[in-house]
Amino acid sequence: MTDNLITLTIDGAPVSVPPGTLVIEAAKQAGVLVPHYCYHPGLPVAGLCRMCLVEIEKAPKLQIACATTVTEGMVVKTQTAPAKDARQGVLEFLLINHPLDCPICDQAGECELQDFVFQEGQASTRYAEFAKRFNPVEDFGPDVLYVPNRCILCTRCVRFMEDVAQEPVLNVSERGDRAFIGIHPEARLDHPWAGNVVDLCPVGSLLSKDFLHKARAWELDKTASICTGCSQGCNISLDTRDEVVVRVRPRPNLDVNRYFICDHGRMHYRWMNRGDRIEAPLIRHDGELKAVDWDEALDRVVGILRGASGGGKAVALVSPGASSEALAAAKRLLSGFTWTGAFQVVMGEEAPLAGVPNLALRAERAPNAKGAEQLGYTRDYAPALAAAKTAAVVLVLDDPDCAVETDGALLYLGTVLGDDAPCRKAEVVLPIANVAEEEGTFVNRDGREQRYFQAKPAPGMAQPAAWVLGQLAQAMAPPLPVAEVS
Amino acid sequence: MGYPHKPHPKETVVLSQYFGDADARTYKGWVKRGGYEALAQALKSDPVAVTDIVKESGLRGRGGAGFPTGLKWSFMPKEKKRPHYLCVNADESEPGTFKDREIMRWTPHALLEGTAIAAHAIRAEVAYIYIRGEFTEPWTIMERALGDANAAGVFGDIKIHLHRGAGAYICGEETALMNSIEGKRGNPRIKPPFPAAAGLFGLPTTINNVETLAAVPHIIKRGAAWYKGLCLSNPKSTGTKLFSVCGHVQRPGNYEVTMGFPLKDLLYDMCGGPPAGRTLKACIPGGSSVPILTREETEACLLDYEGVALKGSMLGSGGVIVFDDSADMVYQIMRLARFYAHESCAQCTQCREGTAWTTKILERILAGQGKTTDLDLLLDLSENMTGKTICVLSDSCAAPIVSGIKKFRGEFEAYLAGKRQPVMVS
Amino acid sequence: MTVMEDYQPVFTGKALEELQTVLQRYPNKQAALLPTLWIAQREHGWISDRIMAEVGEILGLTPAFVKGVVTFYTMYHQHPVGKNFVQVCTTSPCNVCGAEDVLKALLQQTGAGDAGATSPDGKWTIVEVECLGACGFATPILINDDFIENVTPEKVADLVRKYR
Repeated sequence: MTDNLITLTIDGAPVSVPPGTLVIEAAKQAGVLVPHYCYHPGLPVAGLCRMCLVEIEKAPKLQIACATTVTEGMVVKTQTAPAKDARQGVLEFLLINHPLDCPICDQAGECELQDFVFQEGQASTRYAEFAKRFNPVEDFGPDVLYVPNRCILCTRCVRFMEDVAQEPVLNVSERGDRAFIGIHPEARLDHPWAGNVVDLCPVGSLLSKDFLHKARAWELDKTASICTGCSQGCNISLDTRDEVVVRVRPRPNLDVNRYFICDHGRMHYRWMNRGDRIEAPLIRHDGELKAVDWDEALDRVVGILRGASGGGKAVALVSPGASSEALAAAKRLLSGFTWTGAFQVVMGEEAPLAGVPNLALRAERAPNAKGAEQLGYTRDYAPALAAAKTAAVVLVLDDPDCAVETDGALLYLGTVLGDDAPCRKAEVVLPIANVAEEEGTFVNRDGREQRYFQAKPAPGMAQPAAWVLGQLAQAMAPPLPVAEVS
Repeated sequence: MGYPHKPHPKETVVLSQYFGDADARTYKGWVKRGGYEALAQALKSDPVAVTDIVKESGLRGRGGAGFPTGLKWSFMPKEKKRPHYLCVNADESEPGTFKDREIMRWTPHALLEGTAIAAHAIRAEVAYIYIRGEFTEPWTIMERALGDANAAGVFGDIKIHLHRGAGAYICGEETALMNSIEGKRGNPRIKPPFPAAAGLFGLPTTINNVETLAAVPHIIKRGAAWYKGLCLSNPKSTGTKLFSVCGHVQRPGNYEVTMGFPLKDLLYDMCGGPPAGRTLKACIPGGSSVPILTREETEACLLDYEGVALKGSMLGSGGVIVFDDSADMVYQIMRLARFYAHESCAQCTQCREGTAWTTKILERILAGQGKTTDLDLLLDLSENMTGKTICVLSDSCAAPIVSGIKKFRGEFEAYLAGKRQPVMVS
Repeated sequence: MTVMEDYQPVFTGKALEELQTVLQRYPNKQAALLPTLWIAQREHGWISDRIMAEVGEILGLTPAFVKGVVTFYTMYHQHPVGKNFVQVCTTSPCNVCGAEDVLKALLQQTGAGDAGATSPDGKWTIVEVECLGACGFATPILINDDFIENVTPEKVADLVRKYR
């Protein structure tokens, strides 16, 4: 506890915060949510929605909590009649032109206008006889639709593009109650981080075309995960409906991705729902791959490994998207061999979010290259492939396009296996869970270890790779050390 | 001088001495009349000394807020670490006000001189004069005058530039004016920070009205005591003010009187009162954003900041709008609400939606479709629009509505009861 | 940026020279936006989306940003207007002095018909505007850059003849 904290009272609760803290943030700490729209901790302060007006003792007028800095001994009240009346006033003004679209609006159930109206709005409108303002829906860009009728002009989207993305392609057009969010016809909203405006929009005005009418907010289960699109390691939430991933949204992490994810990561989830999965363990029997149960499959692998050991070579060709636990277990399993481990990473163009330090869609399009490196895997993929030719055992982990050829025993752990895939020649094929179906750890490019959690069940008999490899390691007789999985 | 009329004996002619005199707006003509002597004097003095003179004189901002000018200048940083700016507010758009236009087109050099003195006092290297886009004639005259004065080298190191507005009343709000100069939408800024700390381009800035600055050379030349002595009522309101009288009067125009002057004398003696056969019904004394006065209040009102406040209104810009008994108060209040609805910048929820909504309700009343609950609704919305926004445009829309319903309720009720023919179509 | 049709840039020759002078008055390019738009409107008659993009390019601003500014200020035209662009003040002080009758007379006698519309002969666009700052000289109107005071319905015929 440092000495120079400022103590103030919010709705009777004392709270101490560093100097320079905004009243709205201090309130959060005191457990008080001051209703607001235009304020967002990741954006510059605008102070224009006027929803966060609070009563501050000794101030002649209500003050906006989002732009007022705490002072020692300040007494803030959010539930007095003037403050509540002011909020009700703002809500009423917002609702006069806002259409009753809830039944068809994607935001329903996660809409801040709904939330605050429920909390303290009026039951009926006094605007009844007048027509509401109408403007047609606009297509802003590859994924973003703009529904002007629902817009409350909080300008979060404009400020995001201007200050965080640093590409001002959204503006406020016109004046007064004719105002709307506009773009210029020569510049679409196709910035690599543009999708964040959909998350930022408190209402259903900016919508994702990808998510349009796919699910209702209350049907979704949300699971904490880590994006697998690149090595930045953005924290995300996988939103599933009936065990299908339907949406990816950012989770706040001030040290990694603040409040944002890029569009590449946002769209990088369909593969998690693939239906063409390996659903059962397969072993080679009479030249064909035959489905068996786990016990038989694991026994077969143990047999292969015991038969091939005695100082031979083992090569592990792995995916840089495998969990650190799986990678560690794979290495441990092959510790009786002269071991080579390698991976290859798909590369793409880097796309920084200019207004945030150290945040970008990274060129390395895989989440755990660093984790693999830390465990001793290298990027010397071509040499590893060559070594695999004469290795006694080759273990391929979740690398379905691996063009492996070997005279030794080929073991394949993966989620899918194409009809023409070289790994069809494997002795044993073991089905594993993908990132949405297991719990695990990724290490991002900065060496940060981050945990992801299970959002949906794995199909058929598939199991997490870490479990499979851990079982194998256990089944091998001592002197293999007992696995200490973190 | 109530240009285009001859000066009235009761006027105190200071700023308006040369209104109508084409020679006075030339550089040579101005110098002949003693122009730029005050500036030369000021440039030789310490900036703090100049500020002190203006403080002592009691000069208050003539744009509408009435903030003591010398005090405002003294808010600039004491230590000069970064560039300072002066902005001159020539955006004159408050309905009923037309005095700055006269100052610019008849005495452009008075404004330039006052600008330069102020820039010196606040140690500003650059001054921008923000002239509303519609003032095409003042623009041309100011351009010419600035060119001549620059050629004569009277401003020393101070650079004065003209900046043209493009049709936005809200740019008369000091922080919106700065945003407009910066090449942005004219949105008012939240305060703090205040302009003297972080204003134009983020640097210490003072914004002053045209009329305020036009008085400065006189104060420097003739002394603070002289200006302070021009006071008829309350010692907190000194000097002269140009009152722009318009609407239902026989002789509309600008009249310059000493602070504390009776509004009654201005309207009846100087302006000739309403047209023959008509009687005064209402008066808005300070531009459309201040509460409306009844005839009784008008005739008992003294024209200074305190005097008008005493009657429940504000001196504001001094734009005196007169309505006689032929005026439809409901219609005019609707037209004012519509003005604010057009001019709202759209930032604050209450203003953006409230100005439009109140206009619609008033239009409905005028179309004969008002409801009995409409007056209470208007009053409630007005309260929701007051004291809750970034700037006071929202409050300004509410002021005529609230005072109008309070003082002319009968006219509203006549429409509601169907006793008055609708004048609008819904 | 690809140029599709034959776009004639506005800022060449004298206009470009004038722009250079304007830029001297401000510490950064963005601040020159309003004066630059005035030059563009003077040269082209109105400010198209394409011109907004050109202005943006010159001043280092995105087209969307420029558009946000253009749509804020009522004096910038976003589409072509008649040869005579007429602004008539109808706010309360002028309103009580017959401004709406002046407006009606102008709309009728120019053939423009409705406020905001351009007359069939392309010579007139008449709009209602807010307070022009000459309330004691009711009703003031602007015809292009000419500020005309004390207009009454009776004087409209002469004005229309003079400017047609």
